Amino acid sequence: MGEKEYYNIKLTVNGKVVTGSVRAEISLLDFLRDNNYIEVKKGCDKGDCGACTVLIDGKATVSCLTSALQAQGKNIYTLKSLGSWDKLHPLQKAFVKYEALQCGFCTPGMLMTAKALLDTNPHPARESIKEAISGNLCRCTGYRKIVDAIEAVGRGEL
Amino acid sequence: MDNFKYFKPQNFKELLNVKYDLSSAGFPLAGGSNLLIYIKEKSIRSGTLIDITSLKELRGIKKTGDTIEIGAAETISGILESKVLENELPFFSVSMRDFANPLIRNKATIGGNMADASPVADTAPPLLVLDAKVVAASKSGIREIPANEFFSGPGKNNLSKDEIIQKINIPVPERGSGIFLKLGQRKGTSISVTSVAVWIVNDSNKITGIRISLGGVAPVPIRAVNAEKAFSGKIIDENNITALAETLKEDIKPISDLRGSAEYRTAVSINLLKRAILTCLKTEE
Amino acid sequence: MTEERTYIGKRTPGLDEKDKVLGNVIYADDFTLPGMLHAKVFRATKPSAIIKKLNADRARKLPGVACVLTAGDVPNNESISNVVGQTTEVGLLEARHQVLVKNRVRYYGEAIALVAADSVAAAEEAIELIEIEYEEIPGVYNPLEAMKPESPKIHGDNNIIAQWKLRKGDVKRGFAESSVIVENTYRTPRQEHAHIEPESGVSWVDDMGVINIRIATQVIEHYRDVAAVLGIPQSMVRIKGTIIGGGFGGKEDVTAEVFLGLLTWKTRKPVKLTFSREEMGYGRQKRHPYILKYKTGASKDGKLTAMEAEIISDSGAYVYLSPWVLLYSTVHSTGPYFIPNVKVDSFSVLTNNIMTSAFRGFGGMQVAFAYEAQMDEIAKKLKMDPLELRKKNFLKKGSETANYQKITSEVLLKESVEKALSALGEKSKSTETKKTGRGFACSWQSYGRMTYLHDTSSAWVGLELDGSAVVRSGIPDLGGGQRESLRAITAEILGLNIEEVHVISTDSQVTPLAGTVTATRALFMSGNAVKLASEHVLDIITKKASEMLNTSVKELSLKNKTVYTTGGGSIPLVKVIKQCAAEGTMPQSLATYKAPFTDPVKTEVIKDPVFADFTFGAQAAEVEVDTETGIVTILKYASAQDIGRAINVNRVEGQIEGGAAQGIGFGLMEDYIEEKGIPLTLNLATYLIPTSKDIPDIQSIILESKSGKGPFGAKGIGEPAITAAAPALISAICDAIGVRIKHIPATPERVYRAVHDKN
Repeated sequence: MGEKEYYNIKLTVNGKVVTGSVRAEISLLDFLRDNNYIEVKKGCDKGDCGACTVLIDGKATVSCLTSALQAQGKNIYTLKSLGSWDKLHPLQKAFVKYEALQCGFCTPGMLMTAKALLDTNPHPARESIKEAISGNLCRCTGYRKIVDAIEAVGRGEL
Repeated sequence: MDNFKYFKPQNFKELLNVKYDLSSAGFPLAGGSNLLIYIKEKSIRSGTLIDITSLKELRGIKKTGDTIEIGAAETISGILESKVLENELPFFSVSMRDFANPLIRNKATIGGNMADASPVADTAPPLLVLDAKVVAASKSGIREIPANEFFSGPGKNNLSKDEIIQKINIPVPERGSGIFLKLGQRKGTSISVTSVAVWIVNDSNKITGIRISLGGVAPVPIRAVNAEKAFSGKIIDENNITALAETLKEDIKPISDLRGSAEYRTAVSINLLKRAILTCLKTEE
Repeated sequence: MTEERTYIGKRTPGLDEKDKVLGNVIYADDFTLPGMLHAKVFRATKPSAIIKKLNADRARKLPGVACVLTAGDVPNNESISNVVGQTTEVGLLEARHQVLVKNRVRYYGEAIALVAADSVAAAEEAIELIEIEYEEIPGVYNPLEAMKPESPKIHGDNNIIAQWKLRKGDVKRGFAESSVIVENTYRTPRQEHAHIEPESGVSWVDDMGVINIRIATQVIEHYRDVAAVLGIPQSMVRIKGTIIGGGFGGKEDVTAEVFLGLLTWKTRKPVKLTFSREEMGYGRQKRHPYILKYKTGASKDGKLTAMEAEIISDSGAYVYLSPWVLLYSTVHSTGPYFIPNVKVDSFSVLTNNIMTSAFRGFGGMQVAFAYEAQMDEIAKKLKMDPLELRKKNFLKKGSETANYQKITSEVLLKESVEKALSALGEKSKSTETKKTGRGFACSWQSYGRMTYLHDTSSAWVGLELDGSAVVRSGIPDLGGGQRESLRAITAEILGLNIEEVHVISTDSQVTPLAGTVTATRALFMSGNAVKLASEHVLDIITKKASEMLNTSVKELSLKNKTVYTTGGGSIPLVKVIKQCAAEGTMPQSLATYKAPFTDPVKTEVIKDPVFADFTFGAQAAEVEVDTETGIVTILKYASAQDIGRAINVNRVEGQIEGGAAQGIGFGLMEDYIEEKGIPLTLNLATYLIPTSKDIPDIQSIILESKSGKGPFGAKGIGEPAITAAAPALISAICDAIGVRIKHIPATPERVYRAVHDKN
């Protein structure tokens, strides 16, 4: 058994440069959580639930099936990039207003998918919203209130 | 103990060299949506992950002459967003709308989906009816493998150990229209139980050319040659379509698994084929 | 009474929602401590076997491994989770749970050894170094087989571990008097909770030697189980609950508490254990699959005359809560209908399948699928409108159920069905291959635990010197807004702004024990306890204020941190509090709410009240069936529930919509499949739950009879929200294709076969 190889990694998370040393097979999800980006959730670790969704160069995808080393040099955005306590992002305001969450565990991924959707389609129809979030599983809400919240932001309500 | 290495070739030549050197211990890593699962499930325990995403020879969707070339490392989202495909071959991009879900479509690549060789790979049936070619590259050169001859079994393809998929070449059909119908167990993110693609050329109601491909009904995605023969030259109506579609039984060898029994797969394949052909004929009108 | 309330019945803002949308909540797996070890569980890969050899030497020697524990290392290995709270006369309770397998493996995934190491990778590697040899022994995987005398026995000498009966009137005579009789067998799936957050926790030893376990749990009182396994005083174990990433009953039985307790007790170090998604599959309890044989009779004019049923529950390899689940099923098996003659026999049967235990609905759901299908079939035979038939038979306030329990609250079933159906609007048209259909189903579901368990909930409420209030209640927050409701109740009673009430919850060391967040009991029990305590605090304040203002208590009210007299006088609340403090009469109260108590059930025949009350409701669906593929699309959906009184409308809607969605999954797609005890649906790519594209916009309709036993007349809604979903869908499918699906989930293949077999 030889020593495992480690590789240097440098990427930008929420505008901040993060460096580290990782094994070849490490996922971006594990790398982020190991670096205390705990807002990125591990629900299934196989790309089936969407809880670990982040934006990579503007596109929403599952970080559990993304090789950390492939994120080398890229811009990663997690939920923490959206808003702050004093200045919630309109999507965050809408999720609170429309009660688009219960346990909140799918919320970090759901919000990032919604963000990516609105970035490319600012006024999405309900069906487009349902399509966009179809890779983000929610077991609490039945989705209606989530779709309501995203739709409201699309309408410019918040 | 798992032992993986990572290597990112700086150019195409280096990629071909390293694939030659590593042979079956070198795993091309593009989107990672299959490879990372195999690593996590420990069905692959060691090897080198060869990061191919940024090589320009594996990227791009363009039309050269009568051929559309799609780089192997293009994502499904890239295919859906491609203006070239939208203008020249909308059938193919429309076919990708039900591929997994948007999160996976932003990651999964056409080359990866083909190389993975799942019997229910959703890129396969549309590519098969388009007579697409898989362009395989190695140190010793480039060869074109017809999509229909690319698969050798569930999870197996006909690439040599030193080869990688460079791109997929699709000859733009002069005429005709196509459709891809996929049947899953739920509406969002479903793995196909069975899927049917058809491409039809129709002359005054008579089918003068037809290609049919199915996923999920054999060890590999297949062309349904018997059904194609049956439909060729026929004027289709409500009365003869069922009998013609039944010839599909000679083409398929479905198994029973978690997602459906062989009998069900057979029955719905026939129904989907009928629906696909009727829909195509309608759009041809 | 149209009393105007400030918070009750409104859409109150969430206590933690802002932190949830900001990503600030520290869920169980997000928590770390310096020097923390990482744990993994070594699990069986055979469903029925004897361990011939188990060798962990290589694992122990691996660098970074702190300890490897096997059965011999567990002080009390065979004990926990066997407390089923009833006399042994009503069930054979020898199926003792073992923490780690000592000798015999009874299901695939059973825990055999624990590893703690300084990294996840080292723990995983150590697991692979554990050597095991099995001798496979015959197992039994079908409950009908398991009931036969010659079948292999899972524990003891009888696989039937619980039986319950209903006996009312004379079914023979009832059927003789029937003009129609409908007889059917129904089957329901092994549903998985599939909460998105895995089971997870972190444990450590504090400076008082207490084992602390910070964990996502619905039951903080499992500290007693940890203490029992370790053989230490219960006071030496503390469970601190986290915000939970979904539970649905899946975090009701012990999850990782005992494993964590053992590892920290052995190493004296912090330890984290989080289950993988696959482990959540084979290592955790599921909903019991049922076989339900129903025979129901009715007179020509649609009065139910008799019902006979045999209910068989696949209870997996260990008892857990199976006897209770079965009792729920048995009591609820008649549906919300008055039936003069009833005979029900139900059986919990052990098999070598995955464990089955609590899941939202708790036995009420499987029977709802059967009793509602029966009602539809009777209506069909009588050529009667299905709602007309039901209206003739609905239980009413004062009716007696088949376990001789009087219904004490209002029953708004007729109104629920009518509202749900009218919410569907105009019916969509069918085409040749896309058939549309409509259906509805009614349900009743108890809220609160069985009354013979003498359930209690304690809460402490006190006022700070600045007039703000603190609530202490052990109740965990499952995401349903449990803490929020308590906050609203105290704010309402003490006339405070909701932001001035702080709730401290789910910590066995600092909060009064409030029981579990299960059985739709949290609002009912803790809501009442907090209400009692808040009212007591109000009494203390008004009594003191009456002395200070020289007026009678009756003339005082508390609002906006001021005590007002009817005559226009007032005194600031903080002054009253200061006076109370000065006199040593603290404005605080520890209250305990007691549910109605009944005697333990002593016989298998249930002939006494066992529940405090029931929630009644209805769900309605319009579907489109693709007859060429069997694919069902839900076009419209509505659920109407009489929840007594909404405390927070947002949260009630959330429960109604989420419950319907989970019930839709149960009806259409969810099934944890095992083949001879080997699980086949280990991840969320194979175990399918509904996505946003599968669930229509669910319309939630709230009815308020104000007749419940909860605070302000509230009933419970957590579980009742799920119960009628599957039968409503199946009824709609039946309307569309003319065939009733009797085996759910109604997968495309099953629906296709139903269409095809008819033709």
